[in-house]
Amino acid sequence: MSGEAPVKKSSYTIPIGPIHPALKEPVMFTFQMNGEVVESVDFAPGQTHRGIEWMGMRRNPVQIVHLTDRICGICGVTHSICFARAVEQIMEIQVPERADYIRTIIAEMERIQSHLLWAGVAAHELGFDSLFYLAWRVREEAMDVIELITGNRVNYGIIQVGGVRRDIVEEQYPRIQQCLTYYRELMDKLLHVFLHDRTITMRCRDHGILTYEDAMKLCVVGPTARASGVKKDVRIDYPYCAYGDLSIDIVTPNLLMGEVRGDVYDRIVVRVLEIGQSIDIIQQCLDNIPSGPIIWEEKIAKLLLACKKAKGEAIGRHEAPRGEALHYVRMEGEEAPYAWKVKASSYSNLISWPVILRGEQIADIPIIVASIDPCLSCTDRVAVVNKEQQAILSKEELHRLSVEKTRRLQHD
Amino acid sequence: MKPTPSFNRSLWVYHLNSGSCNGCEIEIVAALAPRYDPERFGVKLVGSPRHADALLVTGPVPNKMKERVLRIMEQTPDPKVVICVGTCGESGGVYYDSYSLAGPIDDVIPVDIYVSGCPPRPEAILHGVVKAIEKLEQLQGGAT
Amino acid sequence: MIGMTPLTPQEVVDRFRNTFGEGVEGTLIRERAEGMKKRPNYNLWITLRQELLKPAIQTLIDISFPHLAVISGVDIEDQIELVYTFSLYFGVKHGEYLVNLKIRVPKSDPRVPTISDLMPSAVFTEREKQEMLGIEVVGIPDPRRLFLPDDFPPGVYPWRKDEKGIPPSMIKNLWEAKRPKDRPAPPVPEKPEAPVCSVECHDPSEAPNETETEVKKE
Repeated sequence: MSGEAPVKKSSYTIPIGPIHPALKEPVMFTFQMNGEVVESVDFAPGQTHRGIEWMGMRRNPVQIVHLTDRICGICGVTHSICFARAVEQIMEIQVPERADYIRTIIAEMERIQSHLLWAGVAAHELGFDSLFYLAWRVREEAMDVIELITGNRVNYGIIQVGGVRRDIVEEQYPRIQQCLTYYRELMDKLLHVFLHDRTITMRCRDHGILTYEDAMKLCVVGPTARASGVKKDVRIDYPYCAYGDLSIDIVTPNLLMGEVRGDVYDRIVVRVLEIGQSIDIIQQCLDNIPSGPIIWEEKIAKLLLACKKAKGEAIGRHEAPRGEALHYVRMEGEEAPYAWKVKASSYSNLISWPVILRGEQIADIPIIVASIDPCLSCTDRVAVVNKEQQAILSKEELHRLSVEKTRRLQHD
Repeated sequence: MKPTPSFNRSLWVYHLNSGSCNGCEIEIVAALAPRYDPERFGVKLVGSPRHADALLVTGPVPNKMKERVLRIMEQTPDPKVVICVGTCGESGGVYYDSYSLAGPIDDVIPVDIYVSGCPPRPEAILHGVVKAIEKLEQLQGGAT
Repeated sequence: MIGMTPLTPQEVVDRFRNTFGEGVEGTLIRERAEGMKKRPNYNLWITLRQELLKPAIQTLIDISFPHLAVISGVDIEDQIELVYTFSLYFGVKHGEYLVNLKIRVPKSDPRVPTISDLMPSAVFTEREKQEMLGIEVVGIPDPRRLFLPDDFPPGVYPWRKDEKGIPPSMIKNLWEAKRPKDRPAPPVPEKPEAPVCSVECHDPSEAPNETETEVKKE
């Protein structure tokens, strides 16, 4: 299975999947291979389609907020913010300023833990397991603070239509501050281990390239777009929650590297820099958070009554760790929304897979697929179909190929 | 009961996602991360059901996934233990009235241990795994 | 885009009005301000005649290359409304507008042209609209299903509100599956519809129960 194997003339097909946990976008891949090189890629999501939008059209907004928490376990607050903002726009209510700040703080906490989670998974895909464990160890700090603020580690349940359900009280500030200090001190180390490591550079530089033109054309979002130099970040372009008050700028790889190549390495650069940006945002929020109420209406029955009267349509957006998430909601004066469409961030990013995988090797598939952060915690099995005969190439096997390539490059 | 030499209290676990929201997935991986570090007891996530002693199953089993769940169950060698992680695998959870689900998990495959929570904490998942070891020891010892 | 002064939301709307005249059936600019500084963000809603969809997108591209977020769809009586959501002027700090182009197609002839020649990323979301709403996207390069399984019953479209929607027979109430049938009767009669969160929440003392009791008071 080494790179020197003779290249076969006929191409063959590799299906990957279908057990793939990306919330609404679980994926079954079919690769057309020419020897070791990917010729074309096709994918079919929907293995875990649960009909969330349809279920939402049978529930009331307060119930849906809990459902949106569970659209994705990693973006636990993203979809809730989107949905709540859409409903608030239809109801034409103003969210208390303090709630806007708390939403921002928790969203950025989520970004820190999500990017660290991704960094760990990416390191694992490269066969760099010590780094995987390092990333997951430091991630626990963010999880602890999230638990302190919201009461839960995952699926926070902190967002409510019209505000948030829990306040950040005075006693919690020192702990959050301690967490920020911890990550601030860690940033140099993170930058060092992820960006100056020879293994990572070898495996990620100039692999999985998405050019600026392709990124614009394919409408990718989030770090995937920014790593290709597309300046698109809802937090900065479109002021909402507390983001309009903050001094933040779009992170692109040229800030650190001086150039944009749009490869896997650049996506790592963007994500690691964004961890730093998130620390900065939380600090700004903590310094400027106004006092006051945290929810437009505390009594849920009154809130539901107001929701029931609302008529109209609106769009709620939020920059999730993976990119822009967007909810379209239409209410017609009934308890349940008349229509609801969820656009998760990976929905936009998956379309880039065929482009970034073309011309790459089998052993590079795991890291390139993971590089757009599709919540890839277990693409679990791969079947290699070689004309009539079929051999199962497990996720483990694929992972082994990836690890072997790392070792090979290290010895070269 | 005395643990049998074949397991030596080392348990290999295969994680099967059947339509979960990823919340349970990240908590399972968090349970394996250094804070809890179950690998010191030999508990390890493996990449193939053929190597596994226990299956960690999450999610409410969409229709499209039912066949795969059954196949993975068949591929796991006996004796095996099935651990259902998360509320949606037990009762549907928030997805209780969906049109595309074949679940709950115990309608599809027999489940030995339920870990409740949406998602359960890593401690709870580890507790479930410890229960799995006990159950396996029972199965190995032939006790009923 | 660089070197050009971005149009104001009103100018964007005027551009559409001037280009298509009567073809623009309605426009709405919604401004919303959040946070302490109350910086506004803008959502533009433009309702168009069905056949003007592609020229309208071309107009947007001529202003500045937009980002296609998603196409949403709503079943309204005998019509299907499609909302094409774009963001315009992204990358300009606090300068992005969300532009929603709305068209309606009759259910008797639910056909729209594909926009994938103008916006290549649209294929994905167009495939979803086909399977979820039962519309036909004419000229779509990849007409397969996206999320629904291959054995999904033909002629059933989950987002339809008419007889083509999900029939009750397809709904599986998971919470019922393992419920013992011979339980003693509860002391108070069960409510016809179980509150959603009784199954799902970590902490039953939180909001869901509150909802229940509060509703009774009302």
